[in-house]
Amino acid sequence: MRVLLVDDEEKFVSRLAERLEIRGFESDWATTSAEAFSKAAAAKYDVAVLDVKMPHMSGLDLKKKLQEMSPDMKFIFVTGHGSEEDYCAGSREGFCYIIKPFKIETLVEKINQAMNV
Amino acid sequence: MEHEIARACAQGLSFFGKTNRLISHELKNVLAIISETLGLIDELIELSETGMGLEPGKLRSLSESVIEEVERANAIIRNMNTFAHSVDEIVGEVEVGQSVKLVMELCQLESAAKRTKLRFEKSEPCVLHTSRFFLENLIHHALVYALHGVGPENEIRVSLSSDEHGVRIGFAGIACNVIGEFPTKKGHLLARIVGAEVSMNPAAGELTIALPKKMDDAGIQNLISKD
Repeated sequence: MRVLLVDDEEKFVSRLAERLEIRGFESDWATTSAEAFSKAAAAKYDVAVLDVKMPHMSGLDLKKKLQEMSPDMKFIFVTGHGSEEDYCAGSREGFCYIIKPFKIETLVEKINQAMNV
Repeated sequence: MEHEIARACAQGLSFFGKTNRLISHELKNVLAIISETLGLIDELIELSETGMGLEPGKLRSLSESVIEEVERANAIIRNMNTFAHSVDEIVGEVEVGQSVKLVMELCQLESAAKRTKLRFEKSEPCVLHTSRFFLENLIHHALVYALHGVGPENEIRVSLSSDEHGVRIGFAGIACNVIGEFPTKKGHLLARIVGAEVSMNPAAGELTIALPKKMDDAGIQNLISKD
């Protein structure tokens, strides 16, 4: 399973990718939307894990663009805004949200759920 | 005037809340990096127990980055604490440079989102008798305006100058085509409370806040409980 992680915090996203690799996922990461587009153009990803709040383009807008490129791609959002209201608002929109910081097992579970594994 | 002060207080609460939300967001990012880094260290150690080599250089780099993030969190919390003290004394002696630097640091997340550098041009200490909290609110409002209309250099330069009348805070690097929109209603209100004059130089892409040596604080003092 191939996962693309996008977050402007490089240390966070690179270490998360490495931890997913240890668990058997093929993982790439990007810190900008432009970088994410170029990676998505070059390879096919099953799941994208996107930060909600990023410079220039929000995770929600990035999701729309990535979906145009890869209609089958599944999406998981991560956010630093940890209020219950934010979580409920996100859930209402039908997306899977994980609040930072989280346990890697939670992300793995959400990736497997997204892929019906 | 008292009605305006009450409106400014309501604006101030909103500013206080928004700033705290940004700080908590920033702290969550730091915690997430620490959590992932320590998780990775733990997994590398576990893998080494199954025979995979452990690179001391990599471990050192990971542990150093935890220390860096702790320092980053400490700086964020220090700013949060300084900002919380802004409301200790509603009017008093204020070193304007310290307030400008604090607001610039609090705006780091917004400036990063705009890929814009904030540069403070150092100056001599400039002390005024004013309301620190409303002044910081006004500086923040001006800085956010400047960030929304940043010019092609992608850099906002903030400078201070003083004379016998008071202190001038200059914001340079704003795109010329957006400069006419300031001050907004909120900007007007905050400027009135601290007795500031806001002026713009569209050709130069500059915005200036001129603050008096001593603001007229009679209206605010009337609202403060004396017991």
